[in-house]
Amino acid sequence: MTHPSNPTSSSAVVGQRLRLRADPGRLAAIAKELTTPALLTAFALYLVVGIVTMQVPDGTPFPGPAVFPGLVAAALLVLAGLLVVRSVRASRAGARAGLSEGSPTDAVDGSDAPDAPGTGADGSAVPERTVRVDWRSLLWVVVSFGAFALLLDVLGWVVGAGLLFLGVAKGLGAPGWLRPLVVGFTVSAISYIAFDMALELSLPSGILGWGS
Amino acid sequence: MDVLGLLGDGFAGALTPANLLWVVVGCLLGTAVGVLPGLGSSMAVALLLPVTFSLDPTAAFIMFAGVYFGGLFGDSTMGILMNTPGQASAIASTFEGHKMALDGRAAQALATAAIGAFVGGMIASVLVVFLAPALASFSSSFGPAEFFALALFAFVTTSSVVTDDPLKGLGSLFLGLGIATIGVDGISGAPRSTMGVPELFDGISLVTVTVAVLALGEVIYVACLARHLQDGRMVRPQGRAWLSRKELREAAPAWLRGTAIGLPFGVVPAGGSEIPTFLAFGLEKRLDARRRHPQFGRGAIRGLAAPEAAGNSTTGMAMGALLALGLPVSATAAIMLAAFRQYGLQPGPLLFDRSPDLVWALLASFFIAMVVLLVINLPFAMLWAKLLRIPRAYLYAGIAVFCGLGIYATSGSVFDLLMLLGIGIVGFLMRALDVPLAPLIIGMVLGPLAETSLRDAALSADGDFSVLVAGPIPIVLYSVLVVVLAGTVTSRVRARRASRRAAADR
Repeated sequence: MTHPSNPTSSSAVVGQRLRLRADPGRLAAIAKELTTPALLTAFALYLVVGIVTMQVPDGTPFPGPAVFPGLVAAALLVLAGLLVVRSVRASRAGARAGLSEGSPTDAVDGSDAPDAPGTGADGSAVPERTVRVDWRSLLWVVVSFGAFALLLDVLGWVVGAGLLFLGVAKGLGAPGWLRPLVVGFTVSAISYIAFDMALELSLPSGILGWGS
Repeated sequence: MDVLGLLGDGFAGALTPANLLWVVVGCLLGTAVGVLPGLGSSMAVALLLPVTFSLDPTAAFIMFAGVYFGGLFGDSTMGILMNTPGQASAIASTFEGHKMALDGRAAQALATAAIGAFVGGMIASVLVVFLAPALASFSSSFGPAEFFALALFAFVTTSSVVTDDPLKGLGSLFLGLGIATIGVDGISGAPRSTMGVPELFDGISLVTVTVAVLALGEVIYVACLARHLQDGRMVRPQGRAWLSRKELREAAPAWLRGTAIGLPFGVVPAGGSEIPTFLAFGLEKRLDARRRHPQFGRGAIRGLAAPEAAGNSTTGMAMGALLALGLPVSATAAIMLAAFRQYGLQPGPLLFDRSPDLVWALLASFFIAMVVLLVINLPFAMLWAKLLRIPRAYLYAGIAVFCGLGIYATSGSVFDLLMLLGIGIVGFLMRALDVPLAPLIIGMVLGPLAETSLRDAALSADGDFSVLVAGPIPIVLYSVLVVVLAGTVTSRVRARRASRRAAADR
């Protein structure tokens, strides 16, 4: 295994060698493979709709405003197609064990960092572990942030951000309720004082109604 | 001597109490995010971007530079003590650095890393001071064709050459390019892909995208992993935190070689300092194997010294390339370029003419930042390691709050917060699926430049695209690009064949 040179890969993010894996079952594996092409296709379609409905002022010389988005959308569709083709081929070849996941990333990059990882005979590189997506944590964070965004004007910064802090902390598995709540309100109050009052950014005061 | 005079003025500007304060704040923040595994300087700069709008530009950039360099000073600390690199640029330093720590030489390893980062950064800063003005005046003759070639160069290298997976890298790049087209077209005035939503007429703000992708996406991602993370054991360093004369003699050539490897990567858009650190490590390992008593594998001081110096020399040169050409080589540099634009400044040749105060104060602040960072890292590395006591849940909850703060403070609208969440989820998906994020940021920053120069060039030649390859500079750039691509493809084919042969042997 070579270390990925992708600076935003999972191991770089948390400093540990982890890789998310799909839920068990063939369907979930296919779903994981198709997420990237689906994302690219969806955005390409959005751009295409934008190009079709675009109102170009008369007399705009070539190359007009639609050319560049058109190129981008075409490239996105081609890439999505290539990704699908590759994952289909890999899953066919993947009848031989484990090849579907690792081969495209492993084969690459051997030239960039030739002998970087295999430094020690005792294997200093921690073996990569695969873990499942923790959907409950994901929902905690996403729902907390969504609620924060929608209710911010009503609740105000101190209450809203305090609750956001609580939600995200719970999502990351903080024990207890009182402690994250107290810490959250401390953080939100201090940030309100520092940024709204001292640096004069405008934050909503909401139901507490102080400061404005 | 003209340069020295200008630099002297710069020091006068940077040494005011207020600016000195921002240097120190930036260095402290940068070291902190560097030390904490998972937080990197790109995330820190993205989060700081919205809240620094009330500062004057010089102060803001001085702070950003401190964060950028500080991240590279701090990132090796946890790698050495816990075998957990603070950010990707410290992975190469971790191999031998952690072995030194296990060998009872943790204090010396920390010193080697800090001095290495200092040497690399200092040499790069000196070079930047003398080269950047020349580079800027050279690039002042650039027209649309040249800028398009430069942008294309950056696109291809960041998305395909340096990533593991060119298909995903290109996908990420084109997502960024596409997001940048949303909003009113600057040349014709036609609204593009806005779906009639007035909030989208100004386009999707780069600040929202960077904060969403680099910070909020990471919070969601870490939340999904939090219950699986286990912290390693930390080595407690003992003894002297300085190097003996023998160790200095051992490390010095490696520092210099590492610096030399890192320098050219600062001008090549190759995604920042990860690759040069690995190259420097590989070179030291090969040189070491020829010696009578090879040290590698047992905590070789050179295996730590070279990558540390390489990382910071790349960063120093990258700042020079950003100032003189307006060309970002990494995600962090791309966000700083965005910051310049937010202040209405355009890095590149004109910046040296129009805002010499800012440029030279910023360049002078590099030197100050290096000294400050050496002082706060060399003796106090253990103090920084205490940051790890902050529970991960609170740390990331705080980051989520800060994301909301920054975006709401700059836009004041709920729409942007929801957009932040949506793009944050996309960022999470990209991380989870191992799609690199840097091409997206680079694409979004340089996309408009590429598009306008493409259209300007074609418009001035009545729709004839051949003007793009008319001048000598674009031709040189394209030839280099072709050579680089050919090299990558052959080495990849060779690697694939080798792995197939290995699979067949099994």
